[in-house]
Amino acid sequence: MIFRAVEDADLIRQAARGQVEAYNLLVSRWEKRVYNYLLRITRNREDALDLTQDVFLKAYQNLRKLDDASRFAPWLYRIAHNEAYSMFRKRRPETDVDELVPEATDTGVLVGGSSVFPMELGLTVAGALGRLSPEQREAVVLKIYQGFKFEEMAEILDCPVSTVKSRLYAALDLLKAALAPIRSRGVS
Amino acid sequence: MNCSPFEVRDYFLKELSEAERQQVEGHVEGCRACRDELERLRMTESALLALRDEEIPQRIGFVSDKIFEPSPWRRAWESFWGSTARLGFASAALLSIAMVVFSLARPAGTPAGPLTGRVSLATISDADIQQRIQVAVDQAVAARDVREKKLEQRVAEIETLNRAENQRVTLAASAVDYLRREQMLQDRSRYLAPSDREDAK
Repeated sequence: MIFRAVEDADLIRQAARGQVEAYNLLVSRWEKRVYNYLLRITRNREDALDLTQDVFLKAYQNLRKLDDASRFAPWLYRIAHNEAYSMFRKRRPETDVDELVPEATDTGVLVGGSSVFPMELGLTVAGALGRLSPEQREAVVLKIYQGFKFEEMAEILDCPVSTVKSRLYAALDLLKAALAPIRSRGVS
Repeated sequence: MNCSPFEVRDYFLKELSEAERQQVEGHVEGCRACRDELERLRMTESALLALRDEEIPQRIGFVSDKIFEPSPWRRAWESFWGSTARLGFASAALLSIAMVVFSLARPAGTPAGPLTGRVSLATISDADIQQRIQVAVDQAVAARDVREKKLEQRVAEIETLNRAENQRVTLAASAVDYLRREQMLQDRSRYLAPSDREDAK
């Protein structure tokens, strides 16, 4: 992982000097992760793909502003987070941020007729995630699926670490009740 | 519920230091409630990870803005120096060319013996090497002696030529002095009166 980070830092320096090949290699390394992050918070493939394109374009335009190449990942996800919420606001400007992300259903996540999670891949999990608030779901996505540290999550979400922890703990309590209830009853 | 010295959820989320992790592990061994809590968290995570990442439906094709793009020459130059593989290949190519040029430019007769086929380094003994070195040294010494003899002969020839030249110069100078004296005598006799001329005689 350290070796990978070093390689990324080298690619970032080359890309900042205008080497498009280096940036394309960087994109190929990160596009799947960024796409899945955006897919899980927007729950729409087309939106996630468009946003991923926008994120990497914006990242390239601002690459010279990245002082510390080792902070590339949280910096990139900060852009992705901002792009996603910017899209939510454009679509529904009068709506509160908590209600910006489309609603999930118990039978899967249906947005614009496109089901993100196939039925056979765990409707219970999709339903449990869908019942979380957007902030809680994003905290789970960043921690469980993307593997960021609390400090990095705070940087991405632009909020204190304590807020990150409270969102994540609340989400874990809800998910635990939905996904691991049997042992819970046995213990109590 | 948090009877653990540190938050069990932080332990589960790998946010504790090594020392803190050890303390939590020590506590969990003796605490049924915390052990069950940890087990439920692991089950929850396993369920969540059942939803695997999707492949991106379309690769992100990135094209640079031409304004920010350096010139093709600069890109080629930076690309060359930025690539260890290309540098390595170029070095290997240069080394190969140097070896070929050296083998072609080597003067005939330098090898101690006829080279037929490949010669393995392992088959050459130290004695052979010493013998070849001695032959090479003897040849070099003989060549140097020949050069020194030629040089001495040339110096002798130059000295002979120099002596002859000096003689010619001396003779010429004597002739010039003789002619000057003759001229002086003629001039003096021209301006003297006949009586003086008699006295002078």
